[in-house]
This record gives sequence, C-alpha cells and structure tokens, in this order.
Amino acid sequence: MTDKDNLLVEDFFKQAARQQIEDDGFTERVMAQIGQTKSSSRRWSLMWTWFCVAMALVLFFLFGGWESLKGTMMVWMTTALTSLEVFFTTAPTTELPLNPGVLLLVAAFVLIYLPYQTARKLSATL
Amino acid sequence: MAVHGDIALVTQVAVFQNKKAFDQLVRKYQSPVRRFFLNQTLGDEMLSDDLAQETFIKAYLNITKFRGMSSFSTWLMRIAYNVFYDHCRKMRNEKLEMSNNDYRTIPDPAYGSHPHSSFLTPHSSLKMDLYAALALLKPGERECITLQLIDGYPVNEISKITGIPENTVKSHLRRGKDKMANYLRQNGYDR
Repeated sequence: MTDKDNLLVEDFFKQAARQQIEDDGFTERVMAQIGQTKSSSRRWSLMWTWFCVAMALVLFFLFGGWESLKGTMMVWMTTALTSLEVFFTTAPTTELPLNPGVLLLVAAFVLIYLPYQTARKLSATL
Repeated sequence: MAVHGDIALVTQVAVFQNKKAFDQLVRKYQSPVRRFFLNQTLGDEMLSDDLAQETFIKAYLNITKFRGMSSFSTWLMRIAYNVFYDHCRKMRNEKLEMSNNDYRTIPDPAYGSHPHSSFLTPHSSLKMDLYAALALLKPGERECITLQLIDGYPVNEISKITGIPENTVKSHLRRGKDKMANYLRQNGYDR
C-alpha cells in the first residue's frame, strides 16, 4: 500500500469520523430500560432474601435450634459471670492503664457507629 | 482529565448507584457506540440502537467489574464488540444470516435495500459510499478499520477491544485499507 493510498483512505474516513449522532432521546430510553431492569432484579433479590429467611427459620425450629441456642447462651452467661467474678476479685490489686479518650472512642464506635452502619445496610438491602 | 472524569462518574455509579452519573456517561458515549454499531450493521439504525441500548445496560449491570486497567471508553467498546458478536452468533443460530459465505455480512444498504436507513439522509452521498465501502470488508477487517480510522483507537487498544492479537489486527488493517483504497480509486476519490 502506497502513502498516497493511505492518505486517500484516511481522508475518506476523516469525514466519517466527524459524524456525531444526535442523542434524540436515546439516553432517556436507556435510563428507562435500566430502571425496569433494576426493579426486576431487585424484586428477585428481595424474594430470594425472604425465601432464605423463611428457610432458615424452618430449619432452626426443625432441628431444635432453640434448645441448642439456649444451651449456648447458658454457657456464655456462665463464662461471662465467672470472668466478671474473677475480674472483681482481682480488680483492687490490678492497675489498668485506661485512657478516657480511647474509652470514649470505643463507646462511640459501639454505641453509635455500629448501630448506624447496621441500620444503613439493612435499609439498603430491604 | 476526561479519563479522571469518567472514573469519578463510574465510581459514583458503582458505589452510590448514582443514576445521574450513568446518565452523563450514556450521553457522552452514545454517539461513538451507536456509530460503531451503525458501521458494523452498515447503517441499520434500529438494530444499532437496540444493540447500543443493550451495551449500556450491560455496562450498568457490570459496572463494578470495571477495574480501570483501560479507559472507560475501551471497556465500553469491548462490551459493544461482545454484544455485536453475540448478536451475530444468535443470527447464525437462527439461520437468519444474509450471506452464505459470511454470517456477519449484511446486505448493502448503500443501494436503498435497507429498511431502516434514515441515517442516510444528511450527507447521504458520503454515507452511502462509506457503507458500500465497508460492505466490501470482512467483519474482522471492518471492525479494525472502523475502530482505527473512525473511532481513532491505536492498534493495542483495538487488540484489547476485540481480543485479537496485535499482529492479526495489523494484518486486518493492511488488507482492509488495500480494499478501501481500490474502492475509492474506482469511485473517483483520488481525483
């Protein structure tokens, strides 16, 4: 291919490259279609979530989940009480370097940030 | 700057499901994407718009998969290429192909055979010649030629979009340009 041919082809396509297609409502059509697609997929996602929740509840009661949970809770409570007992017994002789600022931050994280994030994620999912 | 703008818009869509940001992306890229399909379908406006719409919907649904390894336009054109390829495969499976030799060859719209060629109204002479010239090319050649000469992508980007090795892209371009030059000479464009 000669340089002349190359120029000929490039010149021809240069004019075609300038062609701009007017939107003419194309974007609106796409966005409307996306809205439909999204709501349909969202509906399926919700149905799937509720199906899983229902299945989890059925299986929980079917396999004696409540009894098992009660047992586990009892073990946790016993362990926690024992730990507290040990802590209070040993506390007067133990020096804990507690920083009030850090305590405040931890309290804010647990009492404000975590519930806020949980609520936000739940509301986004449901 | 435009690339950073695209990435900011993509982030808005991916993280916050910001529809206005995606609206801006569609407005910005509707012209090159629709033009790509118009060139591949040789001027079938309705089909091009359907395929372009499908491309943007796929882009929206898969926007979290965009990793920024290439520009957003390259990523979008890759989706457009795949949409067109899937369409051709579907056509072949439905035995609706219009040529025995090549399932992706569509009848020449330059001679008024196409039912949806309203794009041919302004500058129709140039467009008729353009689609007639593109009809002479094999699909691979047509994709490479239009991506380089109309959309301005370099060889390595064309390779990324089409998934064809760079050397094959160069071969397609060379053969395509030879055919184009012959066609243009025969039609008096060299005078």
